[in-house]
Amino acid sequence: MNRPAKVWRALLTTLMVLLAILWLLPAVWVLVTSLKLTENIVRVPPEWIPWPATIEHYGEVLFSSSRTARIGRAFFNSIVVSLGSVALVVLTSAMAAYPLARMSFRGRNLVFGLIVGSLMIPNAVILVPQYVLVQRLGWLSTYQGLIVPEAAMTFAFGVFLLRQFFLTIPSELEDAARIDGADPWQIFTRIVLPLSQPVLGALAIFAFRSAWNDFLWPLIAVNKPDMFPLPVALALLRGAYAAESYGPIMAGAVLSALPLLIVFLVANRRIVEGVRVSALKG
Amino acid sequence: MPHRKLSSSRRRFLEGAALGATALALSPRRASAQAKPTITYWNGLTGADGKIMDELIDHFTRDTGIRMEQQRIVWADLYAKLQVAVPADEGPDLALIHTVEIPHFASDGILEPMADSATSAKGFKAEDYLPSTWQGGLYQGKRYAVPLDVPQHLLYVNVKVMRDAGLAGTDGKPKIPTTRDEVLAMAKQITKGDTFGFAIGTTNPGRYTWGFHNLLWQNGANVYAADFKRSGLGEPAALEVAEFWGAIQNQHKIAPPANANCRDAFIAGKLGLWIAGSWNFTGLREAKVDFVAAPVPRLFKQAVVWTMPHQYTFPKKKAVDAAKRDAAWAHVRWMSDHVAEWTLKAGQVSALRKPHTDSRVTADPVLRTLLGQAGQWQSGQATPKWVAAENITRPVIENVYIGQKPAAAAMSDLARQINALPD
Amino acid sequence: MKPRRARRRGAFTPYLFLAPGLVLFAVFRVYPLLEGLWLSFTNARLGRAQHAFVGSANYVRLLDDTRFHVSLVNTAYYTIASTVPILAVPLVLAVALNRGVALRTFLRGAFFFPFTLSVVTVGLTWLWLLDPVIGPSTYYLRAAGVPVRSWLADPSTAMWAIILTTVWWVTGYYLVIYLAGLQDIPRELYEAAAIDGAGGWRSFWSITLPLLRPVFLFVLVTHVIGSFQIFGQVFVLTNGGPGDATRTVVQHLYETAFQNFFHFGSASAMAWVLFVVILAFSLLQFRLLRGHTQY
Repeated sequence: MNRPAKVWRALLTTLMVLLAILWLLPAVWVLVTSLKLTENIVRVPPEWIPWPATIEHYGEVLFSSSRTARIGRAFFNSIVVSLGSVALVVLTSAMAAYPLARMSFRGRNLVFGLIVGSLMIPNAVILVPQYVLVQRLGWLSTYQGLIVPEAAMTFAFGVFLLRQFFLTIPSELEDAARIDGADPWQIFTRIVLPLSQPVLGALAIFAFRSAWNDFLWPLIAVNKPDMFPLPVALALLRGAYAAESYGPIMAGAVLSALPLLIVFLVANRRIVEGVRVSALKG
Repeated sequence: MPHRKLSSSRRRFLEGAALGATALALSPRRASAQAKPTITYWNGLTGADGKIMDELIDHFTRDTGIRMEQQRIVWADLYAKLQVAVPADEGPDLALIHTVEIPHFASDGILEPMADSATSAKGFKAEDYLPSTWQGGLYQGKRYAVPLDVPQHLLYVNVKVMRDAGLAGTDGKPKIPTTRDEVLAMAKQITKGDTFGFAIGTTNPGRYTWGFHNLLWQNGANVYAADFKRSGLGEPAALEVAEFWGAIQNQHKIAPPANANCRDAFIAGKLGLWIAGSWNFTGLREAKVDFVAAPVPRLFKQAVVWTMPHQYTFPKKKAVDAAKRDAAWAHVRWMSDHVAEWTLKAGQVSALRKPHTDSRVTADPVLRTLLGQAGQWQSGQATPKWVAAENITRPVIENVYIGQKPAAAAMSDLARQINALPD
Repeated sequence: MKPRRARRRGAFTPYLFLAPGLVLFAVFRVYPLLEGLWLSFTNARLGRAQHAFVGSANYVRLLDDTRFHVSLVNTAYYTIASTVPILAVPLVLAVALNRGVALRTFLRGAFFFPFTLSVVTVGLTWLWLLDPVIGPSTYYLRAAGVPVRSWLADPSTAMWAIILTTVWWVTGYYLVIYLAGLQDIPRELYEAAAIDGAGGWRSFWSITLPLLRPVFLFVLVTHVIGSFQIFGQVFVLTNGGPGDATRTVVQHLYETAFQNFFHFGSASAMAWVLFVVILAFSLLQFRLLRGHTQY
């Protein structure tokens, strides 16, 4: 790289890093607040260094004497529900998106239109009929009562995303396999899916985040406190009449963001490659 | 109905059984030979209060053997969940709700009425309670709730802010305003730079309907006229209050912007006089704020204090399990007997009179101030439309607060909207 | 034998693939949706077992519901006003990141991090940051001599404060999508343009933007559908205030269904009206942009 380009690169990097630091400030505020003593949290001028620092808020959240805010158990529930929902939605979306992209059959456009159209209805309206349905199935306060509706909520988005990607796979690969005598299922599992790992990873991450942070559905669909997922359990830390206790709230927020952050860092590559190929050929 | 003559042996058996049953009913502890039910209990006491409630429930379980499965959800979500769950027969055995929610839940068939015979059999009598709290459990002549405690308004005075503004005596104690003129004068002296003199409400003071109601009641006005049919907000008394609401920010300029977090401002020493709920004071102590609790000043005709008691209710069930219902009554009885503990630890004054003379309670200056207001307690009107009316009041008073709409137009518009609420 | 079986299997295959997903979708999405549609023609209320058919009464009532109109206007305003910032900021960042800066993983992670936070955390944090009395932003602006306003309590600035918060929250997500699209544009095109003397700006207009159009469509459609259903952060930041200045359709719907009178029938009607609006907007977008994608 020649000198002017190197200088440009250094300049741009510096600018971007400064912007990134500025961008992170609100998140830093969350972290810093979670480490401050209660009497130091609300202060003017604002203090960015938590000194003296304390982990009592984290202790409060994780080992709280309150039996209803069992964060450890809620964490476990969220993991189960999120992973279960991801598995279900990735499987069903992929299997549904494939024929919508690659096969012609009666009703194809109608089905695709219905699926995408369902994205345009706010969830709040579906909640109550869904509640009645789940109750009739006997699924209230169960894992499946959370996993299956959460998967259903992300299904349409998943089908949209995956169909776009499947459209970009060169059909020659599939044609060759068909000539060799492979049946559609074999083509799907041995050619299409392996090639789609990046976008499947991307869908998995978005589906995980959606199930992980959902509050409204678990709120009404769960009646046993030890089946609550994390967002509902964390809401218990909020004061009853806006008398917020910021320390535990921010500690809870940090703990809740950690798994998502880990998932992002680990799958960073996957997302970039995955979403790129799918969004491209819109 | 034909009069049936019972055989003497059967009659003796029935008498014996009746005696036995009475004995059992009067001595619940001795009946603990059988397995005790577990009852479900929903309330909105999130945050610090929740932990204290947990301790008390543990104590109750140790005493009676009855276990309680609690679900705590922030109030607004709790009520939505109750409305969805009870008709589906998924509601709890016991629920703690606010007085103002009783009319609409009762009228919707979400709550079960409590027979007078049942309440008096369990030892709950009107004369033991402060009238406004005991009346709050009634709707259309039927009782649906037994009161627990009385969250209410208080005047918090920030000692440091008062001192810095020169409003403290030589002993360092801040001056306490009791009338509107005093409040305005002191607030004007305090308001300087980024510090404000006076605010009503925890967050979003512009939309703080509870404070607005408090002021309405102080001026003899109310949301509904006495017949609950037409809104009383078009009356001159209500208009006066609305004008004051807008004046504190726009004319006197002593109040913070409409969405300020007054609680944080008070903690950070940027607010001097703060009218807010009694539930804030334990948090203020935890944040080590130097404050004094004073009675709510008389800003209009009478020194009325807004309250919103918590009430115990039994949500409707398709089939009532007698053992669970008894267990739920047992809990309400036990909590009422031990309410002084609740007061001392959670800072909520009891609806029962007796603990008011408990020396441990009167020793605490804040609790003493709260008790001192008991004669001026008032709470919301018993109409099912109260909550809906309150919800549509919020944006209107906020517009008045920020000066976006003049008080007269806003109040007549609000009265019209309230009159248009469907039944 | 084999060709015939293959042909017969071929006829059923698409439906077999679709079956699991469609069952899930039909039972847990279509059925509740249709029930919601049915309920919009009744006087259904949460808590009332019986509901009666009332024809189009709920829809007709919406014509008089000024708060519904206000919320529809606010939501449309939010959607249109937020489109440029929410789509442009990540694009600028993506172009800069793509130009060849160091520390790309750190930068990508930094901009993505806000997206991992829940809506309540984002709302509470920004409420605090923007608080007109004790907020850090207020403090620093005042120290810099800028006149202090309460952004969220002023009807003319409240929606923009919400847009700012949303930009901060979702930029990372769109950034990742754009980066992927940019990385797929062959380097040779830029090099060829550079040889021909085209500067950075010129090649951006002639190469980057056109080849990024398909990504735009995807992102634009997702953004519009999402924006019309905006609820969470508005509810926490302003609760629809000041007054009704930031009240959105889903907030109005939510309060109708789960607060005031639990009028579920009315709320369903609102949802279907919103659906028609979103559908119209989306079809318009497709019309305007789809036709140009040629490469």
